[in-house]
Amino acid sequence: MKELFPVKQVGGYLFSLVLTIVALIVYFMDFSFPVAMTILLVTAFVQAAVQLVLFMHAGETEDGTAIYTNVLYGIIIAMVTIIGSLLIFVWDM
Amino acid sequence: MKIDHTQPLEYSTQQNQLNIFGFWIFLGAEIMLFATLFTAYFIMENRTGNGPTGPEIFEIGPVLFETFILLTSSFTIGLAVHAMRIGRKKAMLAFLGVTLLLGVAFLSAEINEFVHYYHVGATYQTSGFTAALLTTLGTHGGHVTLGFFWGVCILIQVMKDGINARTANKSFIFSLYWHFLDVVWIFIFSFIYLKGLM
Repeated sequence: MKELFPVKQVGGYLFSLVLTIVALIVYFMDFSFPVAMTILLVTAFVQAAVQLVLFMHAGETEDGTAIYTNVLYGIIIAMVTIIGSLLIFVWDM
Repeated sequence: MKIDHTQPLEYSTQQNQLNIFGFWIFLGAEIMLFATLFTAYFIMENRTGNGPTGPEIFEIGPVLFETFILLTSSFTIGLAVHAMRIGRKKAMLAFLGVTLLLGVAFLSAEINEFVHYYHVGATYQTSGFTAALLTTLGTHGGHVTLGFFWGVCILIQVMKDGINARTANKSFIFSLYWHFLDVVWIFIFSFIYLKGLM
């Protein structure tokens, strides 16, 4: 039974639960907008990294570098799309 | 077909390695797809017209239920892949089965949520905010629905053929998809619900 629950996976799961609960603090506490957003950004991206590295085995084979490059490319395009659009439509710059 | 025994079974042939790498490229495109949906949502977030606003219609209870269910299902599919790698077919099928059941639980919670939105007057046509919200949530939910049927097909194939280079490869790729859906949900949870409720 024990060999079915490797430490890496169980640890990753518990860590994800902790991060979710930390993110939940912004709901219960009255933080200012920048502080709350910083907490959410950190917990979300760390949790995404846990999934990618621990659960999805992204760097496991010789394709690892290409996989990370590809994901990073996706994230860069995502950020440029989101922040660029916010600049024009919401922040009025 | 040349089988490389130094690699886990799902990577063991060149075709298998290419399938996995190709799927990562697809996930890269999915990141961009959801980025455009988040873009639309962030722009429309405060354009609520005469309809309800986010804090008025979001309910933290069901959202937390969905979050923990999906997180747990991401954990169990990880365990399924681990069981597959050590050749434990029954354990793998059990974990895959649990994952799919959690997927159904998530979907029923999300359908309830949509019914709730309908009852409080937040439909697709209500405002820019509700349109962007329901499109983003719906696209994610649609992915989970597709993933559920895909997972059932994988389950049947592993049941019939056992764990071999082909089924291991398919199962691994399915696990990538399922983990990815949890990653997307983390961002929905943080930047749609929590940001709306804080």
